[in-house]
Amino acid sequence: MEGIATTLTTWIAGVTRLTAPPRGTFTQLARGSTAGNRHDTAQQRRVLEATLALLAQDAPVELVRLREEVAG
Amino acid sequence: MEILENLEQWQAAYEQGWLAHYQETGETDFKIYVRPKNSQAPAGPGIELARSRLALISSAGSYLKASQDPYDAENPLGDYTIRTYPSSTPFEAIAYAHTHYDHAAVNDDPQVLLPLRHLEDMVREGIVGELAPSVISFHGYQPDVTRTVNETIPAIVAAAKAEQIDAALLIPA
Repeated sequence: MEGIATTLTTWIAGVTRLTAPPRGTFTQLARGSTAGNRHDTAQQRRVLEATLALLAQDAPVELVRLREEVAG
Repeated sequence: MEILENLEQWQAAYEQGWLAHYQETGETDFKIYVRPKNSQAPAGPGIELARSRLALISSAGSYLKASQDPYDAENPLGDYTIRTYPSSTPFEAIAYAHTHYDHAAVNDDPQVLLPLRHLEDMVREGIVGELAPSVISFHGYQPDVTRTVNETIPAIVAAAKAEQIDAALLIPA
Protein backbone atom coordinates (compact mmCIF):
# COMPACT_ATOMS: atom_id res chain seq x y z
CA MET A 1 0.00 0.00 0.00
CA GLU A 2 1.98 2.94 -1.36
CA GLY A 3 5.16 2.37 0.62
CA ILE A 4 3.45 0.97 3.69
CA ALA A 5 4.32 -2.62 4.58
CA THR A 6 1.13 -4.64 4.93
CA THR A 7 0.12 -8.04 6.22
CA LEU A 8 -3.17 -9.81 6.83
CA THR A 9 -4.71 -12.96 8.21
CA THR A 10 -7.62 -14.76 6.59
CA TRP A 11 -9.87 -17.77 7.13
CA ILE A 12 -10.70 -17.93 3.42
CA ALA A 13 -7.38 -18.57 1.75
CA GLY A 14 -8.77 -19.40 -1.68
CA VAL A 15 -10.44 -16.05 -2.21
CA THR A 16 -7.65 -14.08 -0.56
CA ARG A 17 -4.99 -15.79 -2.69
CA LEU A 18 -6.78 -14.64 -5.86
CA THR A 19 -6.08 -11.01 -4.96
CA ALA A 20 -2.32 -11.65 -4.52
CA PRO A 21 -1.69 -9.80 -1.25
CA PRO A 22 1.93 -8.92 -0.39
CA ARG A 23 2.02 -10.91 2.86
CA GLY A 24 -0.38 -12.94 4.96
CA THR A 25 -1.33 -15.98 6.96
CA PHE A 26 -4.34 -18.27 6.61
CA THR A 27 -6.12 -20.40 9.15
CA GLN A 28 -9.07 -22.76 9.46
CA LEU A 29 -10.82 -20.31 11.74
CA ALA A 30 -14.32 -19.03 10.98
CA ARG A 31 -15.98 -15.98 9.50
CA GLY A 32 -16.38 -13.50 12.33
CA SER A 33 -13.45 -14.92 14.34
CA THR A 34 -10.60 -14.16 12.00
CA ALA A 35 -7.99 -13.46 14.71
CA GLY A 36 -8.85 -16.48 16.84
CA ASN A 37 -11.59 -18.12 18.82
CA ARG A 38 -13.35 -16.02 21.43
CA HIS A 39 -11.56 -15.85 24.78
CA ASP A 40 -8.68 -18.00 23.48
CA THR A 41 -6.08 -15.33 24.13
CA ALA A 42 -3.18 -17.70 23.50
CA GLN A 43 -4.49 -18.55 20.04
CA GLN A 44 -5.24 -14.92 19.25
CA ARG A 45 -1.67 -13.98 20.18
CA ARG A 46 -0.25 -16.81 18.06
CA VAL A 47 -2.21 -15.64 15.03
CA LEU A 48 -1.18 -12.03 15.57
CA GLU A 49 2.49 -12.75 16.19
CA ALA A 50 2.81 -15.04 13.16
CA THR A 51 1.01 -12.56 10.92
CA LEU A 52 3.01 -9.57 12.11
CA ALA A 53 6.30 -11.46 11.89
CA LEU A 54 5.88 -11.52 8.11
CA LEU A 55 6.41 -7.75 8.05
CA ALA A 56 10.13 -8.36 8.49
CA GLN A 57 10.28 -10.06 5.11
CA ASP A 58 10.48 -8.36 1.75
CA ALA A 59 7.23 -8.75 -0.19
CA PRO A 60 5.80 -10.64 -1.87
CA VAL A 61 5.59 -13.60 0.50
CA GLU A 62 3.41 -16.65 -0.16
CA LEU A 63 0.47 -17.01 2.24
CA VAL A 64 1.64 -18.95 5.29
CA ARG A 65 -0.59 -21.65 6.75
CA LEU A 66 -1.25 -21.51 10.49
CA ARG A 67 -2.66 -24.62 12.12
CA GLU A 68 -5.37 -22.74 13.97
CA GLU A 69 -8.92 -24.03 13.90
CA VAL A 70 -12.40 -23.35 15.16
CA ALA A 71 -12.81 -24.43 18.77
CA GLY A 72 -13.85 -28.08 18.93
CA MET B 1 1.20 -0.99 -9.78
CA GLU B 2 -2.54 -1.25 -10.28
CA ILE B 3 -4.64 -2.25 -7.29
CA LEU B 4 -6.60 -4.61 -9.50
CA GLU B 5 -5.31 -5.86 -12.83
CA ASN B 6 -7.85 -5.76 -15.66
CA LEU B 7 -10.28 -3.57 -13.73
CA GLU B 8 -12.21 -2.59 -16.85
CA GLN B 9 -12.74 -6.23 -17.79
CA TRP B 10 -13.84 -7.01 -14.25
CA GLN B 11 -16.29 -4.09 -14.31
CA ALA B 12 -17.84 -5.26 -17.58
CA ALA B 13 -18.30 -8.79 -16.22
CA TYR B 14 -19.80 -7.41 -13.01
CA GLU B 15 -22.24 -5.13 -14.79
CA GLN B 16 -23.33 -7.75 -17.32
CA GLY B 17 -23.51 -10.56 -14.77
CA TRP B 18 -24.07 -10.04 -11.05
CA LEU B 19 -25.33 -6.45 -11.25
CA ALA B 20 -27.68 -7.09 -14.20
CA HIS B 21 -29.13 -10.09 -12.37
CA TYR B 22 -29.64 -8.00 -9.24
CA GLN B 23 -31.31 -5.21 -11.20
CA GLU B 24 -33.61 -7.68 -12.93
CA THR B 25 -34.52 -9.84 -9.94
CA GLY B 26 -33.51 -8.05 -6.74
CA GLU B 27 -31.42 -11.12 -5.85
CA THR B 28 -27.74 -11.03 -4.92
CA ASP B 29 -26.47 -14.27 -6.46
CA PHE B 30 -22.84 -14.88 -5.60
CA LYS B 31 -22.76 -18.06 -7.65
CA ILE B 32 -22.47 -15.79 -10.69
CA TYR B 33 -20.16 -13.24 -9.07
CA VAL B 34 -16.75 -12.90 -10.73
CA ARG B 35 -14.02 -12.77 -8.08
CA PRO B 36 -11.35 -10.10 -8.64
CA LYS B 37 -7.98 -11.61 -9.48
CA ASN B 38 -4.41 -10.41 -9.60
CA SER B 39 -1.51 -12.33 -11.09
CA GLN B 40 1.20 -10.36 -9.29
CA ALA B 41 1.51 -9.38 -5.65
CA PRO B 42 2.99 -5.99 -4.81
CA ALA B 43 6.67 -5.95 -3.91
CA GLY B 44 8.19 -3.95 -1.10
CA PRO B 45 10.82 -4.07 1.61
CA GLY B 46 10.24 -5.59 5.01
CA ILE B 47 10.29 -3.42 8.11
CA GLU B 48 11.52 -3.74 11.66
CA LEU B 49 8.25 -3.93 13.55
CA ALA B 50 9.79 -3.01 16.89
CA ARG B 51 10.75 0.36 15.39
CA SER B 52 7.55 0.89 13.40
CA ARG B 53 4.14 2.49 13.78
CA LEU B 54 1.43 -0.07 13.02
CA ALA B 55 -2.20 0.57 12.12
CA LEU B 56 -5.03 -1.92 12.40
CA ILE B 57 -7.31 -1.91 9.35
CA SER B 58 -10.56 -3.75 9.90
CA SER B 59 -13.39 -4.66 7.54
CA ALA B 60 -15.72 -5.67 10.37
CA GLY B 61 -17.97 -2.64 9.98
CA SER B 62 -16.97 -1.20 13.33
CA TYR B 63 -17.79 2.35 14.37
CA LEU B 64 -18.22 4.49 17.46
CA LYS B 65 -21.80 3.98 18.43
CA ALA B 66 -22.12 7.32 20.26
CA SER B 67 -20.66 9.62 17.62
CA GLN B 68 -20.44 7.96 14.20
CA ASP B 69 -23.07 6.84 11.73
CA PRO B 70 -23.30 3.09 11.24
CA TYR B 71 -22.48 1.62 7.86
CA ASP B 72 -25.31 1.04 5.39
CA ALA B 73 -25.22 -2.65 6.21
CA GLU B 74 -28.57 -3.51 4.63
CA ASN B 75 -27.61 -2.09 1.24
CA PRO B 76 -27.27 -5.01 -1.22
CA LEU B 77 -24.87 -2.90 -3.28
CA GLY B 78 -22.52 -2.34 -0.32
CA ASP B 79 -21.06 0.58 1.63
CA TYR B 80 -17.73 2.03 0.47
CA THR B 81 -17.12 4.60 3.21
CA ILE B 82 -14.59 4.39 6.03
CA ARG B 83 -14.52 5.42 9.69
CA THR B 84 -11.55 6.09 11.94
CA TYR B 85 -11.54 6.06 15.71
CA PRO B 86 -8.87 6.00 18.42
CA SER B 87 -6.98 2.73 18.80
CA SER B 88 -7.38 3.14 22.56
CA THR B 89 -11.20 3.12 22.34
CA PRO B 90 -12.82 0.89 24.95
CA PHE B 91 -14.61 -1.98 23.29
CA GLU B 92 -17.83 -0.95 24.99
CA ALA B 93 -17.90 2.16 22.79
CA ILE B 94 -17.65 0.21 19.51
CA ALA B 95 -20.54 -1.28 17.54
CA TYR B 96 -20.63 -3.32 14.33
CA ALA B 97 -22.86 -2.65 11.32
CA HIS B 98 -22.38 -5.58 8.95
CA THR B 99 -24.97 -8.20 8.03
CA HIS B 100 -22.62 -10.67 6.37
CA TYR B 101 -21.15 -12.34 9.43
CA ASP B 102 -22.46 -13.57 12.78
CA HIS B 103 -21.71 -10.99 15.48
CA ALA B 104 -21.94 -13.48 18.35
CA ALA B 105 -18.18 -13.89 18.69
CA VAL B 106 -17.23 -10.23 18.29
CA ASN B 107 -19.94 -9.12 20.70
CA ASP B 108 -18.65 -11.64 23.24
CA ASP B 109 -14.93 -11.00 22.66
CA PRO B 110 -14.08 -8.08 20.34
CA GLN B 111 -10.46 -9.24 20.08
CA VAL B 112 -11.58 -11.90 17.57
CA LEU B 113 -11.77 -9.09 14.99
CA LEU B 114 -10.25 -6.04 16.70
CA PRO B 115 -7.24 -7.31 18.68
CA LEU B 116 -6.43 -3.86 20.02
CA ARG B 117 -5.69 -4.88 23.57
CA HIS B 118 -3.31 -7.59 22.33
CA LEU B 119 -1.57 -5.03 20.11
CA GLU B 120 -1.23 -2.69 23.09
CA ASP B 121 0.36 -5.57 25.01
CA MET B 122 2.76 -6.14 22.12
CA VAL B 123 3.78 -2.49 22.22
CA ARG B 124 4.51 -2.78 25.96
CA GLU B 125 6.50 -5.96 25.27
CA GLY B 126 8.59 -4.22 22.60
CA ILE B 127 7.34 -6.38 19.73
CA VAL B 128 5.55 -3.47 18.05
CA GLY B 129 7.09 0.00 18.06
CA GLU B 130 3.83 1.87 18.48
CA LEU B 131 0.22 1.70 17.49
CA ALA B 132 -1.19 4.29 15.12
CA PRO B 133 -3.48 6.74 16.89
CA SER B 134 -6.48 5.48 14.92
CA VAL B 135 -8.06 2.28 13.71
CA ILE B 136 -9.07 2.45 10.06
CA SER B 137 -12.46 0.79 9.66
CA PHE B 138 -14.55 -0.11 6.66
CA HIS B 139 -17.43 -2.37 5.74
CA GLY B 140 -16.20 -5.48 3.99
CA TYR B 141 -19.30 -6.16 1.93
CA GLN B 142 -18.36 -4.35 -1.27
CA PRO B 143 -19.53 -6.18 -4.39
CA ASP B 144 -18.49 -3.35 -6.75
CA VAL B 145 -14.71 -3.60 -6.79
CA THR B 146 -14.42 -0.53 -9.00
CA ARG B 147 -15.94 1.51 -6.18
CA THR B 148 -13.59 -0.20 -3.72
CA VAL B 149 -10.61 0.80 -5.88
CA ASN B 150 -11.84 4.33 -6.56
CA GLU B 151 -13.45 5.22 -3.23
CA THR B 152 -12.55 2.96 -0.30
CA ILE B 153 -8.89 2.31 -0.96
CA PRO B 154 -7.96 5.97 -1.60
CA ALA B 155 -9.74 6.90 1.63
CA ILE B 156 -7.84 4.20 3.52
CA VAL B 157 -4.52 5.28 2.00
CA ALA B 158 -5.19 8.92 2.91
CA ALA B 159 -6.05 7.94 6.48
CA ALA B 160 -2.95 5.74 6.70
CA LYS B 161 -0.71 8.55 5.45
CA ALA B 162 -2.28 10.99 7.89
CA GLU B 163 -1.33 8.57 10.66
CA GLN B 164 2.24 8.38 9.32
CA ILE B 165 2.25 4.62 9.63
CA ASP B 166 5.03 2.29 8.56
CA ALA B 167 2.97 -0.87 8.55
CA ALA B 168 -0.63 -2.07 8.44
CA LEU B 169 -2.37 -5.19 9.69
CA LEU B 170 -5.58 -6.02 7.82
CA ILE B 171 -8.07 -8.22 9.61
CA PRO B 172 -11.08 -9.02 7.47
CA ALA B 173 -14.27 -10.19 9.12
